[in-house]
Amino acid sequence: MYKTLIKASLGLIFLAALLVIPRYVESPYALHMMILLFLSVSQGQSWNILGGYAGQYSVGHAAYFGVGAYTTMMLMYSRQVVPWVGVWVGVAIVIVVALVIGSICFRLRGPYFVLASIAVAEIMRLSAINLTTLTNGAEGILATEIPAFKIGERVITDFLTKVPFYYIGLFLALFTIAITYWVQHSKLGYYFQAIREDQDAAHSLGIHITVYKNIGLVISAVLTSLAGAFYGIYVGFVDPPTVLGLDVSVQIMLICIIGGMGTIWGPVLGSLLLVPLSEALRSNMITEGLVKIGLVSADSRIGLFLKENLSHAHVLLYGILVVLVILFMPEGLMGFIKKMAPRRNREAV
Amino acid sequence: MRKHLLALGAALALSPCLMAQKIGVINSMSGPEAPIGENITNGIKLADEDLKKKGINLQLVWEDDTGKPQISMSAMEKLATRDNVVGVVGPYTSACSNAVAKLAEKYRVPLLIPAAAKEEITRQGLKYVFRMNAPADKYASSLIDAAASLGKPKSIAFIYENTDFGTSTTKTAKEYVAKKGIQIVADEPYPKGAADYRSTLAKVKSKNPDLVFMVSYVADAILLMRQSKEVGLQPQAFLGAGAGFTTTEFAKERAISESVISCTQWTNDVNWPGAKDFGTRYKAKFGKEPTYHAACAYASMMIMAETAKNAGGDRTKTRNALKAGKWNGVMGEVQFADYDGFTNQNNHQMLVQQILSGNYETVLPAQFATKKAVYPFPKWK
Amino acid sequence: MAVFLQSLISGILIGGVYALIGIGLTLIFGVMRVVNFAHGDIMMVGMYLTYLLFTLMGIDPFVSVLISFPLMFFFGGFLQKVFINRVLNAVAQNQILLTIGLGLIMSNTVMLIFTSDYKILTTSYSSSTIQVGGGVSVSTPLLISFLITAAITAALGWFLLKTDTGQAIRATAQDRDAAQLMGINVSRMSVIAFGLGAALAGTAGALISPTYYIFPQVGGTFTLKAFVITVLGGMGSVVGATLGGILIGVTESMSAVYISSGWKDVVVFVLFLLVLLFKPSGLMGKSRT
Repeated sequence: MYKTLIKASLGLIFLAALLVIPRYVESPYALHMMILLFLSVSQGQSWNILGGYAGQYSVGHAAYFGVGAYTTMMLMYSRQVVPWVGVWVGVAIVIVVALVIGSICFRLRGPYFVLASIAVAEIMRLSAINLTTLTNGAEGILATEIPAFKIGERVITDFLTKVPFYYIGLFLALFTIAITYWVQHSKLGYYFQAIREDQDAAHSLGIHITVYKNIGLVISAVLTSLAGAFYGIYVGFVDPPTVLGLDVSVQIMLICIIGGMGTIWGPVLGSLLLVPLSEALRSNMITEGLVKIGLVSADSRIGLFLKENLSHAHVLLYGILVVLVILFMPEGLMGFIKKMAPRRNREAV
Repeated sequence: MRKHLLALGAALALSPCLMAQKIGVINSMSGPEAPIGENITNGIKLADEDLKKKGINLQLVWEDDTGKPQISMSAMEKLATRDNVVGVVGPYTSACSNAVAKLAEKYRVPLLIPAAAKEEITRQGLKYVFRMNAPADKYASSLIDAAASLGKPKSIAFIYENTDFGTSTTKTAKEYVAKKGIQIVADEPYPKGAADYRSTLAKVKSKNPDLVFMVSYVADAILLMRQSKEVGLQPQAFLGAGAGFTTTEFAKERAISESVISCTQWTNDVNWPGAKDFGTRYKAKFGKEPTYHAACAYASMMIMAETAKNAGGDRTKTRNALKAGKWNGVMGEVQFADYDGFTNQNNHQMLVQQILSGNYETVLPAQFATKKAVYPFPKWK
Repeated sequence: MAVFLQSLISGILIGGVYALIGIGLTLIFGVMRVVNFAHGDIMMVGMYLTYLLFTLMGIDPFVSVLISFPLMFFFGGFLQKVFINRVLNAVAQNQILLTIGLGLIMSNTVMLIFTSDYKILTTSYSSSTIQVGGGVSVSTPLLISFLITAAITAALGWFLLKTDTGQAIRATAQDRDAAQLMGINVSRMSVIAFGLGAALAGTAGALISPTYYIFPQVGGTFTLKAFVITVLGGMGSVVGATLGGILIGVTESMSAVYISSGWKDVVVFVLFLLVLLFKPSGLMGKSRT
C-alpha cells in the first residue's frame, strides 16, 4: 500500500514535469526531440499490443502508419478537411484495412505470417506510388500550412510553434501506454498471452483465436494510424518510402523488441534509448563530446578519423547494437533489468 | 543516457564562440541516397579549402539526414536553434528540402538548396529559401527543344523511374510535348533498381517512337541503354534526363552510350569561370569526375560563405545580400530571382550534351556548344 | 509476338539468377527454420568480392565464381557459428531482428570501405547479344549465367540426394530432433547449410554483376524477391525454389508488358499472397511445420 502510494506520487510528479516542460524549455530542438520520442513511444506501444502481447510478429506495420498519415494528408490537401477530422476517417479506413489484412494473414503462422505482413505492406507502398490521381504518387503530399484549431470562433492553437505538437504527442504516448495498461489488466490481455504462449492450447481452452487476434490487430492498427497521422501533420510531408517503406515497419518493431516486448514500459525504454542515441550518432555529438571531455584531441588522427567516419557509420553502430541486444538481452532492456533486480524486489513487484 | 546527452548539450552550448563563420550542411551521407549525396559532400569540402585560401575560415556543421524528411528536420532544428548557424547549404533530396524549407523560413535562416529538383520548393513564396539548380521542368523542356531543333520528331516514349524526380520530370515533359504536337506512344514508370527492363523495352520498340525519353537517377541508365541495344530499340534520339546519364561511368560504356543526348546543370567543358579548373582539382582530390551535384554544392557553399562573411554573420543581412547579389562562377551567372511563380530561384541555364567519341560534348545552347550534334541516332552495331 | 517471345526469354533467363538466390534462402530456412533477412546483403558481399577480383586481379566474373563460392561458404559458416546458432531456439522475431542487424552491419561496413558509389563491372561481353531471329535477341552474359545456374543447381541436387552429408542435411531439414536422435551432427549440418546458402547467394551476386551494378544497399530488393521465391516453391524445397525463381522472372517480365511496369511488383506480391493462402506448402512443398 505504502509502496503503491510512492509509486503513484512519483508517476504524478513525472507527469507534471512533462506537462510543464514547454513552459520552461524554449529550445525548439529540444522540443522536437521530445516530440520524436513521443512518436516513437506510441509507435512501439502500438506494435507491442499485437506483437508483444498477442505474439503476432507483424513486420508490416508501415501499412497502418502510412494509411493514417496518407488519409489525413490527402483529405487536407485535396478536400480541405481539417486534420482532426481527417484523422478519424483515417482510423475508419485503417480498421477496414486491418480486418482485410487480418483475414489474409491470420490464416498463417510463424514465419509465414511475418512474410505475408511484409507483402501486404509492400503492396500498399507500391499502390501509393502507382495510384497517382489519388495519392500524388512518388511526388508525395506536401502540406504548406495547417489550419488553426478552433472551437466555435475561439482559436485554440494555430500550430505555429512546437508546443501544440508537444502536447498532442504527449497525449498520444500516454494514451497508448494507458491502452496497453488496460489490455494487460483485462481479460483481453490474458487471452492474448494465452494465444502467444500456445495457440493450440488456447484454442482447446475455448478461446476463439481468430477473433482475438483480429481484436489485437485492430487496436494496434488504430493506434499506429494515429501515430502516422500525427507524423504526417507534424512533418508536413508524406511520400511512399518515408511512411510506407519496409524500414518503417522494422523501426517500429525495433523500438519494442529492444525495450522489451509484452511489458508496459518496454517501448518507453526502447524509445528512450534509440531516439537520443540515433540522434547523437547521426549529428556527430559523440565525437564532439569525446573531444570536449578531452578523451580525444580534435586534430589527432583518431579525432579526425572519428569526425570523418562516425556520422557515416551510425547505421553500422545501430546494426551492432541490434545484434548485441538480441544475443545478450533477448528479452530486451526490460527483461535485462528484471533479471538484474534482486529477487525480493521481483517478488514485491 | 538522456541525462548524459543533456549535460553534453549544455557543455557544448557553453563553449566559446569561434570567430569563424558557422555554416550548416544538411546532406544524405548514409542511407539509400548516399551515392549522390557523396558528390555534394565532396563539392562542399573543396569549397571549404578554396575559402580558406581566400582567408575565409568556415566552421562547417555537418548533418546527415539519411535521406529521411523527419531526420532532416531534426538537423535543421539543431542547426537553427542550437548551433546558431548563419546559413545552411542543403539538403540533397526534394523530400528533405521540402520539409526543411518551411523551418528555414520559420527560424529565418537562409537556406541555399544546391540540387533538389522539385519545382514546388521555391514556389511557396518562402523568403529565406534559395535554390541554385534549375528545377525539374527545365530538364524536360531543354531536352525536347533540343530534339525538335535537330529533327522533326512526331512521337515520343517515356521510360522513367517511379520516384519523385522521375515522375515530376516526366509530368512536365508530357505537358510540354502536348504543346509541341508530339504524340505520346508509351508511358512506362519502372521501379528503381530492377534488373530486367527487356520486356518493357521490347514493348516500347513495338510502338516505334521517334524519341525515347528516359529519366534515371542512378546506374539504371546503363542497364536501360544496354538492354535497348539488346532488343534493338532504334529511335531518332535517346534523351536522358537525370544524373544516371551524365556520369563518367556512363560515358565510358562506349558501346551503348555513344550519341545519347542528355541534359545537365553543369559540364566541365563549359566556359563558365573556373569550371574547368574545378573539374581538374576535384578529380585530383577525389579521384573521380565531379557530377553536377558537386558543382552545384561547391558554388552554393562559395556563395553562402562569402555572403555570410560580408554580412558579418547576421542572418537577415545574409538573406538580403543573397537576394540582391549576383555572382559569376563555376555555375555561370547566378542570381536568385522571382519569375513564373518561383521565388529566389536561380534561373539556371541547362546544358544539352551528347556523348561523342566517349566524351560529353556540349551541343546546345549554341553559345556553349563545343561540337555539332549527331542526329538521328546511328544504327546499333 | 516478338514482344511476347522477348519477354518470355528474358524472364526465364533472369529468373535463373533469382532461383539461385531463392535456393540459398530455402536451404537455410529448411534446415534451421530461420528467415534470413540478411540474404540480399550476403549476395551484395558476393558482388563486391567479384568486383574486387575483377578490378584487382582481372579475373572474369564467371570464372571468379570458383573463388567466391568457397570464400562465401566460409563466410556463411562463420555467420552461422558466431551469430545464428545462438538464436536457433529463440523466438522468431529475435531471429529476424538478428539477421536484419547483421544485414545492416554488412551493408554499412561495405559502405565505409568502398563508399556508396555505384560500381559498374564492364566486361567485353557486357552488352553483347545473340540474335535468335524474328527480332528476338538473347543477352550473352545472361545466357551464360543461366547455364552456370543450371549446372550449380544440378550439382547441388546431386549433392543433396546422393552424398551422405547431403542426405544428413535433408534429414535435418525434415525433422531436426529425429535427425539428432539418428546420430546426425545437427549443428554441423546447420553450419554447412548456412555456408551453402551464403555461397549460392554470393554466386548469384557474381553472376548478375556483368549485367547489373553494385552498391552497398543493393541487397534489400533481392531479399524480398528471395522470400517470395522461397514461399512460392515451398520453404525448404530446392526444386521448388528453382521453379519459383523462373516463375517470378517470367511473371515480372510479362506483367511489365501486359499490365504496367509500375505494377509488376504488385502482381508478384499478390501472387505470393495467393499461394500463401491457397497452397501454403508452396508449389513443390509437401508439408508445413
